[in-house]
Amino acid sequence: MSTYLRQVYAIVWKDLLLEARTRERLVAMGAFAVLAGVLFHYSFDRSRVRPQDIAAGLVWMTLVFGGLLGIGRTFYLEAQDAAFQGVLMSPTPKDAVFLGKTLANFVLLFAVSLLVLGVFALFFQVSLGPNPGVVVAALALGSLGFVALGTLFSAVSTDTRMGETLLPILVFPLLVPMVVFGVSATTRLLAGRPVDEVAGNLRMLGAFALVAVAAGAGLFRFVVEE
Amino acid sequence: MTPSSTLSGPSTTSAEASEALRLSARDLVKDYGPLRAVNGVGLELEAGTFLTVFGPNGAGKTTLLGLLGGRLRPTRGKVLLGGTALDPSETAWRARIGVLSHQGMLYSHLTAEENLRFYGRLYALDDLEDRVGAGLERVGLAPRGQDFAGRLSHGMRQRLALARALLHDPDLVLLDEPYTGLDPYAAAVLRDVLASLDDGRRIVVMVTHNLKEGLELADRVAIQVRGRLAWEGRGAELRDGDFEHRYHRVVQEASA
Amino acid sequence: MPSKGFRISALGLAGLGIAGVLLLHWMVFFWVPTEASMGIIQRIFYIHVPAAWVAFFAFGIVALCSAVYLWLGDDKLDRAAMAAAEGGMVFTTVVLVTGPLWGKIAWGTFWTWEPRLTLTLLLWFIYLGYFMVRSSTDNPERGKRFAAVVGIVGALDIPLIHLSVIWFRSLHPEPVVLKPEGPSLDPDMLLTLGVGFGSFTLLFLGVFMLRYAVGSAEARFEADLREARA
Repeated sequence: MSTYLRQVYAIVWKDLLLEARTRERLVAMGAFAVLAGVLFHYSFDRSRVRPQDIAAGLVWMTLVFGGLLGIGRTFYLEAQDAAFQGVLMSPTPKDAVFLGKTLANFVLLFAVSLLVLGVFALFFQVSLGPNPGVVVAALALGSLGFVALGTLFSAVSTDTRMGETLLPILVFPLLVPMVVFGVSATTRLLAGRPVDEVAGNLRMLGAFALVAVAAGAGLFRFVVEE
Repeated sequence: MTPSSTLSGPSTTSAEASEALRLSARDLVKDYGPLRAVNGVGLELEAGTFLTVFGPNGAGKTTLLGLLGGRLRPTRGKVLLGGTALDPSETAWRARIGVLSHQGMLYSHLTAEENLRFYGRLYALDDLEDRVGAGLERVGLAPRGQDFAGRLSHGMRQRLALARALLHDPDLVLLDEPYTGLDPYAAAVLRDVLASLDDGRRIVVMVTHNLKEGLELADRVAIQVRGRLAWEGRGAELRDGDFEHRYHRVVQEASA
Repeated sequence: MPSKGFRISALGLAGLGIAGVLLLHWMVFFWVPTEASMGIIQRIFYIHVPAAWVAFFAFGIVALCSAVYLWLGDDKLDRAAMAAAEGGMVFTTVVLVTGPLWGKIAWGTFWTWEPRLTLTLLLWFIYLGYFMVRSSTDNPERGKRFAAVVGIVGALDIPLIHLSVIWFRSLHPEPVVLKPEGPSLDPDMLLTLGVGFGSFTLLFLGVFMLRYAVGSAEARFEADLREARA
């Protein structure tokens, strides 16, 4: 068991180290977050729409679009020099590889989600409500499911002729539960509603994450096999 | 039989390992849609064998190596290492195989040491730091351990890749065109390391274009053409000095 | 290659299905009474609902065959999944065409985010993804596995999507057939609906089997080609 965890950890560590050194995905997603905020500012009329009302939706959608940008590149460095082949040939189980990659992506995406939240709070003078921690928790739960599906299908799309452009088609339909429950929970929390009102939504986000991670771990081996 | 005690290498002792170590392939077939890349290949290799497979481009040599290493699942047939089939759902057999291809399988943005350490962790190796140090030493890269793999010359990268392939002391070593693009020093290092692998307890299979390099260490040779092993030979037959003619003749006949 | 018996049954089923569909149309246009509140346009219901049933039933087959395909590795299962997906996508398209048509005439708008219709729209895209990953890979074996994964993940997510869109909003008229107290449809309407379900299902099964047979023939041809070239 601890061998398994150490193997997962080795992959998480390696991915985060590579990201720290290349910084490609982080910069791309971070810049996207800020620039999206700017474009959104120009995309609606503040005299007619209160930012506080739509902020939750904007945050989640920015996370989805920007996140997919970064997740789509999950296997890019792996493709250089057939590095991933070395990983696949090792005794590390394929589900451990999936979990490692997913966790590393999750760390990245979670960081970006905090950035998005901060940027939108700043740009739209949106208050985070009395329970900002729960808002962050909702984002984290949603991100986990998102990242799991994104990592699985990123492995699929990387090996197709269409590449990353296939990713939205594959992933967006599956993200509806995350957007529905995530935005609902976040809107209520930002509006100051009590935490137990969003407990149901959080449970659904959790269920979504669980199914996504389990499905990804189980199916990854069929995706990476040549 | 007395078990040996402190030898490195996975679970079995050296004596048991060479007794058990056989690589068998029976009626291997690999299809990619309408293309049959490997067409009914059979092999029986015992410990201490060095097999070189020659063949023109498109003969299916890389596919064959992929099958022997368990990277590819055969369309038909089986590969057995030490009596156990290479079942993709099991992972134990993977620790016994090491692969060196012309692609290094290295991360450019990790240092030489970090690359080896990463692989060591994937293979759950115990004395990791020692192995990493020894591995770099063996391929002459000890002073370059802290350099990024992307900054190394091609020859050095291949040497590092060799260290990676051998880090876990595999019983079966598979080499795909390892001499391609190597400078003379790197080629010499490779040759020396490969020669040292010929210690009687391992199986080495090398695929190459290069007739001279390929024959040097081989005790068995096969020529693959269009998915089949068109010719196999061993020992004395390889030292008769006229292999090049034989090779061209075999390829021509089999391609007709 | 499936036996002659198989192919004949397939043709039989498809024939029965077509006959049923013709009967259905006669019933829809000439026989069934008009629904009180929605008027004539409601008759599209007898096409729309059975098509939706087949769309999801077909996807269930896709998911099941995909799962067993990954488990056993037998190409026949992939061919079955593919055959089901083709039929399924056609019926899904029928739902997506009849739904907005009905909506426009009955309520004035083409699209109302009605939960079940939305779910069907998403199903259409999951089917699309299924076909796109198959054809977008250079290695056909991987393409089949990718498609199987899309099918399985889609099937796992559909219940969650269903829950989420229903939870989000609802505009659909009372589900006249599936109410827990029992269907509140007139017996003639129920019969027409039943003919709809039956004929569409038979037609789908017949076409599914035929498509499977064609797939087998294609595979056989590919195998012969391989042997000839080797």
